[in-house]
Amino acid sequence: MIEISNLSKRYGKQVVVDDLSLKISKGETFGFLGQNGAGKTTTIKMIVGLTRPDEGKITIGGKLVDDISARRKIGFMPEAPYFYERLTGMEFMKFCGDLFGENNRSESEYEDILKMTGIFDAKDKAIGKYSKGMKQRLGFAQTLVNDPDYIFLDEPLDGLDPLGRKEIKKIIKTLQGNGKTIFFNSHILYDTEELCDRIGIIHKGRLLYAGAVKEFCQGKPLEEKFVELVEMQQ
Amino acid sequence: MHNVLVIAKNTFKEAVRDRIFYAILGFAVLFILLDLFLARLALGDPVMIKSFGLAGIYIFGLIVTIFLGSSIIYKEIERRTLYFIISKPVTRAQVVLGKFLGLFMAVALTTVLMAVVYIGVVLHETSMFDFLGLVAVFFQLLEMGLIVAVLIFFSSITAPMTATLLAVIMVFIGHLLGSVLYSGEIIGGTTYKLSLAFYYLFPNLEKFDLRNLVVHGISITPHGALFAIAYAVLYSGILIWGAILLLNRREL
Repeated sequence: MIEISNLSKRYGKQVVVDDLSLKISKGETFGFLGQNGAGKTTTIKMIVGLTRPDEGKITIGGKLVDDISARRKIGFMPEAPYFYERLTGMEFMKFCGDLFGENNRSESEYEDILKMTGIFDAKDKAIGKYSKGMKQRLGFAQTLVNDPDYIFLDEPLDGLDPLGRKEIKKIIKTLQGNGKTIFFNSHILYDTEELCDRIGIIHKGRLLYAGAVKEFCQGKPLEEKFVELVEMQQ
Repeated sequence: MHNVLVIAKNTFKEAVRDRIFYAILGFAVLFILLDLFLARLALGDPVMIKSFGLAGIYIFGLIVTIFLGSSIIYKEIERRTLYFIISKPVTRAQVVLGKFLGLFMAVALTTVLMAVVYIGVVLHETSMFDFLGLVAVFFQLLEMGLIVAVLIFFSSITAPMTATLLAVIMVFIGHLLGSVLYSGEIIGGTTYKLSLAFYYLFPNLEKFDLRNLVVHGISITPHGALFAIAYAVLYSGILIWGAILLLNRREL
């Protein structure tokens, strides 16, 4: 389970995340929605230990995220990822995998992940020569190097063409089938509706809604309900 | 330690695959090979040959170090490649140590390659193996290690241009400290106290400059050598520790 309690973060005088509390059960797929600058990325960065909250605490699988061992079970894909351009895709996978200890995975296992994410043919190419979509896929591939129980994805479908989105959604569904807990930020609401068990809506750092997608939509499209809710706050 | 080595290996790979790195290395080798021409002009004078060669190794070693090191941490933060590392079971201290080690390995490789060319040139021109030259190169390498630590420190707080500028100023001052202290002693009073403060605050890089001794065949004392090694390790250690503290406080 992912447990976020009374999380707050300020940058100077600006409150970016304000007293956020959430519980995400094991095996659940949770979509975290909000406008640009709503606090989605700051929240995910605090969850994976990149940024420290000013207040509140986060536990993943019962361990505080400050505890470095909690990150053994985490996979994280940052938004619009940048890479070491002179490494090949396979070298990057090995680099990420090696950070989990020696003999984390074999080369053939990394190859399987690259096949699954559709960039196996480019595994020996320098990342600098990858297209935006290929980089996005590699960013997704590296989240799986440690076979994580908890997967955090920041805008995973951004920059992908329709076919790429379809493939990544298929992988997410496979991971759901394998019992993984998935938390992702997205502004592509159509995909969120399709993939998520529950959603959270954040606006100006405050959580406006957390619950089942169907309950929130009440027969209407997610996008329409989302816009309605956000506009009510303005 | 495992994660430090993984990050070091990655840093090393990235560094030695940079085309500009090869361009600088190519120029360095050409510069040292110019020694063959200089030897003709100097009528085979070993002092000239050694001075020119060792100066080449130092200057190009410094260029490579500053080129590779000025953005080493800054780039990781700005390009967010650090996100991939920190979200894994890796501490920020391991990142800094890995970056230091990887960059130092790349600089050491460059220095060793230049030293091989230098030894070959001296051997060709004087029929002597310049063992003391290698000792001088070793101490240059210690200086480069300290400069790598300086760059890691500045790179964790400033942009590459500023880090480069600050590192160049440190190198410049670092080689003048002896003269500054000497002049301060003669003038006395506040000037002396100020020069003393400078002397202890800035890295005294003259401790690693054995080039003049070596070209004139003067050996160094074991005590002096050990002191220089300890100084390099301690000063670099303090800078790396500072860089870790800065990176720990930094918001990503």
